Amino acid sequence: MQVVEKTQVTPEKDTVLAFDFPQGIAGFSGAKSFAFIYAGSGDLLCLQSIDMPEASFILTPWNESRLGATPKLSSEQQGLLQADADSEIIWFLVLNPFADKDWVTANLRAPIAICESQQTGLQCIASDTSLELRYRWMAQPKAAT
Amino acid sequence: MMVFRQKIGDVIRISDDIRLIIHDIQDGRIVRFGIEAPAEIPVHRLEIYELIQQENQAAVAGDAMAWLNQGGHDASR
Repeated sequence: MQVVEKTQVTPEKDTVLAFDFPQGIAGFSGAKSFAFIYAGSGDLLCLQSIDMPEASFILTPWNESRLGATPKLSSEQQGLLQADADSEIIWFLVLNPFADKDWVTANLRAPIAICESQQTGLQCIASDTSLELRYRWMAQPKAAT
Repeated sequence: MMVFRQKIGDVIRISDDIRLIIHDIQDGRIVRFGIEAPAEIPVHRLEIYELIQQENQAAVAGDAMAWLNQGGHDASR
């Protein structure tokens, strides 16, 4: 896999961005290094583990009009991301297109925070049990089912 | 599994850099304890972590890139 380090916010088609996840991802603790793959259309990205090929997640950006304000990082989480108070944090949701035949669901309880300036990432697990694990995000595309 | 009998204030060490400290016992049945661990080691309540673990594993149950290429991108617009 070719990995290209980018500094621009907007990914270009077929560009691969690499990020360090110091805590890995729950269920894939050995996956510490991930690349973003963007096909150049739509607002979905693939987060692909460089260490574990089977760990390949579909992400979509946090949508404030649907979900409200983005979560807030704790000081520990900021430290893990090597971010300071002024660092821009980009929030993503992990989508699950395989659990429901009619809906692609989003995990609201464990969003992913990305600090682009440090090229770090963290899955932030919330203790609030009212947050849905499988929030109906979008209808399944007919061609993909 | 190792089972310990500890008093309030006692400390259990796990490897070189993880410590579990017994803080107090409430109502004779609820134990409050603290965990000191390096930041890169995630520490969560079991039931919460296992739920996220299972959901992450379900989210990669299929081929993500194949799903995206078969129409997932267009459906997101």
